[in-house]
Amino acid sequence: MFINKKEIILNINKIIFSSLDIREVYQTMSKELSKVIDFDRLSVTLITENNDLYENFVLSKDYEYTALKEGVLYPMEGSMMKRVIQFRQPVVVEDTSKGRFFTDTVLYKEGIQSRLGFPLEYKDRVIGSVNFGSKRKDYYTKKHIDFFAQIASQLAMSIENTRLFNRIKEAEEKYRTVIESSPDIIFECAKDGKFLLMSPSVEKMTGCPVNQFYDNRGYGLSLCHADDRERVQHEIFQILNGKNSNLMDMEFRITHKQGQVIWLSLEIIPIKECDEIVGIEGFCRDITERKKLDELKDGLIRDVTHELKTPVAKIEMAIDMFERSITTGNINTLGKGSQIHEILRNNINRLKNTVKNILDISKLESGMEPLKLHDISLIELITQIVSELGNTANTKNLTLTSHLSANLPIIKADRYKIYHLITHLIDNAIKFTEQGKIDIIASVLPDAVQVTIEDTGRGLDEKTKERVFEKFYKETPSTFGAGIGLAICKNIVQLHKGKIWVESEGKGKGSRFKFTLPMTADNK
Amino acid sequence: MKELLIVEDDLEMQEFYKDMLQGEQFTVTLASNGEEGIKKIKEKKYDIVILDILMEGMTGDRLFALLRRDSQYKEVPVIMASALDEKTYQCFQALGNVSFLEKPFNKEKLLDEITKRLEGNK
Repeated sequence: MFINKKEIILNINKIIFSSLDIREVYQTMSKELSKVIDFDRLSVTLITENNDLYENFVLSKDYEYTALKEGVLYPMEGSMMKRVIQFRQPVVVEDTSKGRFFTDTVLYKEGIQSRLGFPLEYKDRVIGSVNFGSKRKDYYTKKHIDFFAQIASQLAMSIENTRLFNRIKEAEEKYRTVIESSPDIIFECAKDGKFLLMSPSVEKMTGCPVNQFYDNRGYGLSLCHADDRERVQHEIFQILNGKNSNLMDMEFRITHKQGQVIWLSLEIIPIKECDEIVGIEGFCRDITERKKLDELKDGLIRDVTHELKTPVAKIEMAIDMFERSITTGNINTLGKGSQIHEILRNNINRLKNTVKNILDISKLESGMEPLKLHDISLIELITQIVSELGNTANTKNLTLTSHLSANLPIIKADRYKIYHLITHLIDNAIKFTEQGKIDIIASVLPDAVQVTIEDTGRGLDEKTKERVFEKFYKETPSTFGAGIGLAICKNIVQLHKGKIWVESEGKGKGSRFKFTLPMTADNK
Repeated sequence: MKELLIVEDDLEMQEFYKDMLQGEQFTVTLASNGEEGIKKIKEKKYDIVILDILMEGMTGDRLFALLRRDSQYKEVPVIMASALDEKTYQCFQALGNVSFLEKPFNKEKLLDEITKRLEGNK
């Protein structure tokens, strides 16, 4: 019998360490254990970190009652567990009907009459207990305690391993979720260029399947834009050779499998093993959108600068021309004087106009200037503008005609602003039309009035149609004007809660600028 | 007489060039846009080409890049003139034999730049 017990102990230890998770072999172990210690209920309980709760970690499966459930946390206060921990000694309850612990009352109802709680110690700390329950009263004795003492420390170690294993598993799971769900790329790459880790998002970002990275050394580098590759490679070697010891941060372009250029930001740090750099790990983010905005902003600044600097430059050059012609005496010949005069006047006007436009749009955008609403007649207003601009149109041999619906109502609007709006749209039409005609059509819709300025001019392509109302947008940078006029128009229409848009069948096919102004109840 | 081509779409700027170069030792040819510039370059050999940068249609920088790609015009000295900052166009330096002339400029500065460019080509 004694030898048999030793064999059982050996066997139990073997079972305990056959798995990294004790719960997987728990039933086998308890079956083996039942050969030497009789029980009707066997559980392992573990203390939580702050010591006030414990977890019913695992419970024998053949136990039918489930008042104290597996995986559930229970209060430490008033439990047998608390006493086991306090005294670091096995605790025996001879008769649960007279027991002091709240668990006794619960288990008594399930038919458990006596109990034995055995502390599980790991590295001088009680981590939990093993609890036997028997349907017989006063069942557990020193014999059981002595026997289990030979298994307890192994079991404790195994449980601690399980917990550790679970923590690693959880951490790894979290890490994997982060990597797999992140839109950014997280990677590890060995010194020889072999990828050890590459997040799946790389496929979306580059258009290349993730296994291409695992299968081909230095594959990432081959995607780099030709102009950036050398620089990226150089920086990475600096890190690998320990010349750039810490974090490296850079921006570069790659070419997507489908041809488009993608801007990435890359941060890499060296991976060290025993002070030796064995690879790099890095983090990569798509910054294409940000780069596009930057470019747009730079473009805006450049265009405005150009628009302000050009007339100033020409005024300066005209003055220089004037001074030279005085010296040479040319000022009174060849019409030089009037030529200089004209250049000066043109450019002062251009400058004045740009400054005024910039101030206008700033005022409109800041909302500092509220609408001054009055009853206005579109018929009267358009007729006035058409007669004012008639001459300008005539000098280019363009016909300017208005077609005004007789039932156009009086509307409430800011007269000055609507005047500016229509004038600018017609001005623009004249500017961009070389031959043909410009028609101004005003008609009544169910709940708005609509004005159309139609020309036979150069028209707009799709891209320009989309952007033409943007501030500082110019189809060609050299075009006269700061590219603010239509942005101002849009602002004016929006302040009146109307809509503005442009229609054009394409380049060279003319264009129709249209806007609506809503008719409020009293407008009707 | 040195042959000079000026590609500039601004008529007033053209007047300044004409005025400044009048009576100097150059034959001046004007082109009013990039396309016309290309046509002129193909017709005759020029000793120096002055390019405005922001032009409608083909811009000066594109025209310049085209010239440098063509072995026949790889060496033509070029001056890029613009109201933009010089640093915006530094990248073209790499294509060689080009300098930058910031607007506004006066007669002395223009002649000086042309002379330097011509000498640079010797």
